[in-house]
This record gives sequence, structure tokens and C-alpha cells, in this order.
Amino acid sequence: MRIGVIGLILPPTFCFLEMMWRICPALAVGCTVVVLVPPASPTPLLVAQLAGELGQFPGILNVISGPASLGPVLASQPGVQKVAFCGAIEDGRALRRALAGQGPELGLALGAESLLLLMETADVDSAVEGVVDAAWSDRSPGGLRLLIQESVWDETMRRLQARMGRLRGGRGLDGAVDMGARGAAARDLAQRYVREAQSQGAQVFQAGSMPPDSPFFPASLISDLPPASPCTQAEVPWPLVVASPFRTAKEALAVANWTPRGGSASVWSERLGQALELAYGLQMGTVWINAHGLRDPAVPTGGCKESGSSWHGGPDGLYEYLRPSGTPTCLPYLSENLNYDTFGLAVPSTLPAGPETGLSPAPPYGLFVGGRFQAPGARSSRPIRDSQGNLHGYVAEGGAKDIRGAVEAAHQAAPGWVGQSPGARAALLWALAAALQRRESTLVSRLERHGVELKVAKAEVELSVRRLRAWGARVQTQGCTLQVAGLKGPVLRLQEPLGVLAIVCPEEWPLLAFVSLLAPALAHGNTVVLVPSGACPIPALEVCQDMATLLPGGLVNVVTGDRDHLTRCLALHQDIQALWYFGSAQGSQFVEWASAGNLKPVWVNRGCPRAWDQDAEGAGPELGLRAARTKALWLPMGD
Amino acid sequence: MLAHQRGTELDLSWISKIQVNQPAVLRRAEQIQARRPVKKEWQAAWLLKAVTFIDLTTLSGDDTSSNIQRLCYKAKYPIREDLLKALNMHDKGITTAAVCVYPARVCDAVKALKAAGCDIPVASVATGFPAGQTHLKTRLEEIRLAVEDGASEVDVVINRTLVLTGQWEGSDFIKTSTGKETVNATFPVAIVMLRAIRDFFWKTGNKVGFKPAGGIRSAKDSLAWLSLIKEELGDEWLKPELFRIGASTLLADIERQIYHHVTGRYAAYHDLPMS
Repeated sequence: MRIGVIGLILPPTFCFLEMMWRICPALAVGCTVVVLVPPASPTPLLVAQLAGELGQFPGILNVISGPASLGPVLASQPGVQKVAFCGAIEDGRALRRALAGQGPELGLALGAESLLLLMETADVDSAVEGVVDAAWSDRSPGGLRLLIQESVWDETMRRLQARMGRLRGGRGLDGAVDMGARGAAARDLAQRYVREAQSQGAQVFQAGSMPPDSPFFPASLISDLPPASPCTQAEVPWPLVVASPFRTAKEALAVANWTPRGGSASVWSERLGQALELAYGLQMGTVWINAHGLRDPAVPTGGCKESGSSWHGGPDGLYEYLRPSGTPTCLPYLSENLNYDTFGLAVPSTLPAGPETGLSPAPPYGLFVGGRFQAPGARSSRPIRDSQGNLHGYVAEGGAKDIRGAVEAAHQAAPGWVGQSPGARAALLWALAAALQRRESTLVSRLERHGVELKVAKAEVELSVRRLRAWGARVQTQGCTLQVAGLKGPVLRLQEPLGVLAIVCPEEWPLLAFVSLLAPALAHGNTVVLVPSGACPIPALEVCQDMATLLPGGLVNVVTGDRDHLTRCLALHQDIQALWYFGSAQGSQFVEWASAGNLKPVWVNRGCPRAWDQDAEGAGPELGLRAARTKALWLPMGD
Repeated sequence: MLAHQRGTELDLSWISKIQVNQPAVLRRAEQIQARRPVKKEWQAAWLLKAVTFIDLTTLSGDDTSSNIQRLCYKAKYPIREDLLKALNMHDKGITTAAVCVYPARVCDAVKALKAAGCDIPVASVATGFPAGQTHLKTRLEEIRLAVEDGASEVDVVINRTLVLTGQWEGSDFIKTSTGKETVNATFPVAIVMLRAIRDFFWKTGNKVGFKPAGGIRSAKDSLAWLSLIKEELGDEWLKPELFRIGASTLLADIERQIYHHVTGRYAAYHDLPMS
């Protein structure tokens, strides 16, 4: 089902191209679009005029020409269901913070830097042409990080410098130039970067015949930049190339992934096995092998980490503008008086429970981290009361340290879990389903103590078992091949796990929701940190006892405690790849705001409960889509 | 005249380290043809420059002294006099780079050039052109006889048997092919050859020349070839000592382009002297 009204905010460069990539699928599925473009680009206005002349459907495409500060204004208009932002990383972060609680979903496509990995087994001359495409042509979106294997460093630099000498700059419309200019702001950014790099000890080589006046900036090659310098962390602006050496393929992968951004990259090597291994290992949205900068509408283009998680092109591009049927429209739920600095900071102290009644002492539960139950860092527990008000049990009071430990354990377990074959993952999920079934009577009695009717409790357990089995069967295998016109060779659309997924489970359906969220996350190769229902966490902890024996340690981690405090820790954690929050409206708003830290994709319920027992909401394809990310792998062929 | 190469020792390890990625080279080839268009008076200048690189060739079974004589005269006066005068280039000595004929016709070519008062070299194809499948003794004798008759350049067909078994020879020029194959001079192949020439120069300091032959018929093509040399090797290689185009009908098309530039009209073939 289509989303509705889309607001689109575009950057000063490549305005028209980015706009067409996004409005075409949006209009195709039936959404209407309002676009905000910077005043310097008139072409989008022309397109809107042409769209207006269609007569029958005025208003499907609207273009406003205005400064970037209008972005949040557009986004907070009532009726805008989704905002797609394309531009600089810091602007995206600011927009994410500004839109917390406003209602619309936010899709970010940030940054323009790309990466080129040159192995010693590459065709160096062709790779140099790849560098030209990536950084020194009008088609390049931004600057380039160039990683060169040490053994071919000298010959690559020599060829790069010779090639740079042949570059020509001039007015963009002159057919014989390679590079135009992108405005004074872009030029100043490049100039500042070069100066800073030089002051940090780098060598800068500039060449090419450029007109000497502003705003033309010559093609620049920066080398010997110390890895610890601030410039290495910052995004490389156009038309700069920062070259660094590496020794082995393993080091190359480590250096390539050692950046908060994850846009696009190319791997140059004539050894197929090596090229594929690197391509799979890179944390990027698009990877080209022995090519750079190829694009096609049928292939999804997007990023991961701080490059934003919105896609255009391919099926993922269409999913951006669709939502499951029956989802209510997004309304603003802003709470004006939410203080981001203090939300969830202090844990309200719990009074000790009264004397225990009942036959046996209430069982205390620890935190389930790293495959076993352990005591929380704060060494305290909170009592859980049943529907009568009697003491049901004690659960651990988890805090920031425990969250940290849980995330670390999840990261440690991640490579092993990703490396498992789909069959092995499916087998584990089915084993867990079987264990849950064996535990049915205990789970039913625990649910009953919290006021759930026997019939409903039984149904809940049964549905949980069924869901686990279903997701086990749906375990994703590696992606599909796309057909791209004009390219000889396949393009693979891979489904990769996000990494560590943090889930704050809802209060409703304490067992079913827990399982319904856990299963798709695991099925897609993620490792999970969960915060179970606050009032009734014990069924989840019972399941953990089975997970302790069946699943590898660290795969699933469950931390109990004050939900707001734990949510705060999770939302602010920089090393969590995605966060699903099903709690209060204020919590949702905080999660949206705090996710701007590492721009992790979030899914919040805005305080509205979900019908987890309905398959549409509890086991629909939306869960699967949100639990994985896409990577497009281009493999041009020919010899 | 070409300076003779001193050459180097054959080092096969250089070759084994070379990698060529075909799709990337194809992309570069497409790019070069599109990227550097030359217009107006600059195009006319480039075309005249292209003329000076042509090895005006006739390699037909029915070559006789009469068509050789016509060819040599055309080599001396490649563009009609009045067109050159209109461009103010009539006194720059614009001729083609050489005349290329079969060994048996070298005598005729030398005589015709002398009669025309032209000192451009006569190039001879030799060594069992075009297949190269004759005895070594006769091939060497062919070269000797051609040089005796007055040829100062020889296009040698390499022994493909030796190539396919990895036994290599050296040379002053490399040529894309005999020009008599089904596929002759294409940009992707040329790019790889030019990169090899450049690498050899960087390693040894020796400059090897390049000659594409076969299939270059239009003036537009010739401009693309000049662009390619300029981009990959630089202006140093844009000299007849290091770059030749083996062509026969190309000259006519270039002349027609120059005619159009000077007069603004499109010429018929018969408006311009036959070659």
C-alpha cells in the first residue's frame, strides 16, 4: 500500500538527478511528492511545470525552491508521511533530531564519498580510469578514498599522476572537458581539506589544465596522510583523492570498513576469489568489481552506517514508498516537554518487596548475556508482581554496563552466526520452537499468573512456536540476480544481516511479541539484544533457559531493568546497527532523537500497541524487510 | 628517419605481471571516442596533422606501375593545392608520412617518388605478407631485396607460430595487424598496446612507435585515433617517427572534410584528385 505524501529535500549538487531517482518510483506507486530544492537549480522547477501540464492530476509533483532551513518546516507539515533527505551527513543528523516525534518516517541518503580498493593483481591502468570516474569527472558524486596495495604503490602513483596531467577542466557544457565546477562552497571545502591535510604532513599533488579562476579546483591526489589525523576521519570532498597503502587483503578490508560511512566501493583485482571475498566483506551499500560508478534503475542504490539507510532503484527503492496495508497514517505525537538530556537517565528506586507468600521462594533471574545467566553490574534486582499483586519473582536490574556487555557479546557472536549456512540457522530456530513446545505448561502457568486467561495463554504459546517455525523456514539465502540492460554480467542483490539489532519489546503480548521480534532478526543473521516487557518479563526469561543450551552464546541477550533507562543506553550506543522500540510515545520520540548519533535505522510504535496475534502485524513481510539490509554487487564480465 | 632502437634483454617476468581487464578497457575505449570532440578550424588543423601520419597504402593483387605512380603523386600532394592555400598551409610541405607497397613494387614506387621530387620513405611489407607462412630463408631474402630496391622501412609480419609458443622478437614499431584480417584496428586493442608502449618507455627509456592499420576509413575515426595517442602517450608520440596510420581511402575522406571546411559545401568524390 502506498504511503501518501512524500517530502523530498535535495542537496545543491546533482539536484535533478537525485530528484528523478526518487520521484519516479514514488509517483509510480501512487504517492504525491513535494520537493524542496536549493535556489540555484532551476531544472526541477521545469519538471514540475511539465508535470502540472498533465492536466488531469495537478499537484502530484510540487517543487519549492528555497533555502535548506525550510527542510524541517516542510517535514513537520501535517499530512507528510515520509521525508526523504539527500545531502550532507551533518545536515541529515540535524534533520533526524529535529523530526523526532513529528510523525513522518525519515529516509536518509547521506554523504558522497566512495572507496576504491586496488589489489596487486589488478589491471592498474584500468583502475586508474576507475579513479578518474570516481573522483575526477562530472559524474562523480564526491571524493574518493583510494586504498592501494603496497607492492603496486609506486606504479599506481606514477600512472595516477600521468593521468591527472591529461585531465581538463572547464565549463561543464563544453564537451571536451572532464571536470566542471560545483560552486564556491564546494571549492572552499576542498581548499580547506587540502590545507588541513598539508598541515598534518600529507603530500598533495595537483595537476590537470584548469582555468585558474574560482570556482574551479584542480584534481588533487593526497598521500602520506597519517591514519590518526582528523582528515582521515572526515569525508573526502570532491575532487580530492586520498591514497593510503595496505599490506594484505585482510588489512585492506579492515581499513576499508574502519569508517563511519558506508556508501559505495569498488574492488579491483583479476583474481575472482579474492575480489568476491572482499566484496562480500565490505560494509557498503554498493560494490563494483573492476568497475566504478555504474548505475541502473533496476539496481538498488543505498548505503549503511552513517550513509543513511534509504534506497533508490530496484525493489528496495519501491519499498521506500510503500507500507503494509492497514498501517495507520503517521500523526505527530510530539511531546513538547520531553527533556532529551534527562530521559531515562536516573533509575527510579524500587522498594523492596514485602514478605514472600507462597510455597516456594520466588526464583531470581539474572541477565541472559553471552549465553548464560549472570548477575547485573549493579548487583540489584527488581521484584515482579503478578496480577494479584503477589510477588512472582525477581529479575535483574540491568544498567548501562550491562547493556555494554550485552552489545559486546552480540558483536562477538555475530561473525559465527553470519557464517552459518541458512540450513543451520533454520535448524536452530526449529530446535528452539521444539524446546518452547516442551516448556508449554510452565509458560502457560506464568502467563496465567499475570492475568492472562488459560485459553489465550495456550494460544499465545502455540502461536509463538508456530512463528519460530515459520521464520525458520523463511531463513534468507543469499540474494537474487538482477538483469541490467547494457551490462554484460550479473548484478547480485544480496540480503545481508544488519549486525547487532536491539529490540525493546512491547508490554502487550509478553511472550508472543518477544518471539515474533526475535525470530525474524535471527533468521536474517543478526544477533540481538532484547529488553523484554516490563510488567511480565518472566516468560521471556524462561525461553532464555532453553536458548542457553541450544543457541551459541551471545546470539541472543536479554537485559531486564528500568525500560526507559535501558532504552536510553541502547539508543545512544554507537555500535548498534538498528533499534526497534515498542513502548511509550515519549520513548519513541527519544529513540528517534538519539538515533541521530550513529544514524541507526529505527522502528518505533509511537506509543500505539500492535496486534501481535494478527499475522499481518506480527509476522508480516515488514519484519523481514527491516531485519536485513541490501547490498548490490556488480560483476561486469569479459576477457 | 627513425633512430634505431638499442633494445633490451627479453624479460618475460614483465609480461606475466600484466593484467588487463576487458570490460574496463572497453569502457575506456567508448569514453575516448566521445570525450574529445574537435571542431571548426581546430578540426581542420588536426586533420592536416592526421594526413602527415598516413602511410598511403596499396596492397592489391593488381598493382602495376601506373597506379603506384598515381599513389606516389598523391602522397606528395595529398590535399588539393587551392584548399591548402585557403588554409595558408600550402608552403608547409604537407605530405603523407610514407608510401606502403608490396616488395615487387618498391622499384616503381621509388622511381615515381623521385620523378615527383619527393623524399618521403617507401615502406615495403615483407616476410610473406599477409600470412607469414613462408620459409625463413625466403623471408629474409625478401627483406634484403626490398631494401636493395630502395625501401627504407619494412612492415614485418611476425611468425604467429613463435608467438603462440611464447618466443618473442623486438621491433621499432608495433602494428595492430596486417590490415587484412576480419577485425583490424579497434580501440580496446589499441589501448592495451599503447599502455604497453608507455610501460616499456618508463622501464627502458626506449620509445616504440605505433601503427593502427585496417578499417580506418573516415576522418572522424582518424581524429579519434589522434585523441587516443594524445591521451595515452602524450604529444611526444604525435610525430611521424612514432605514429603512423596505415590507410588507403582515409585520405579521400579527410580531403572532403577539408573541402567542406574551406568552401562550406560537401564535395563529390570526383571533385578531388584520385589517389
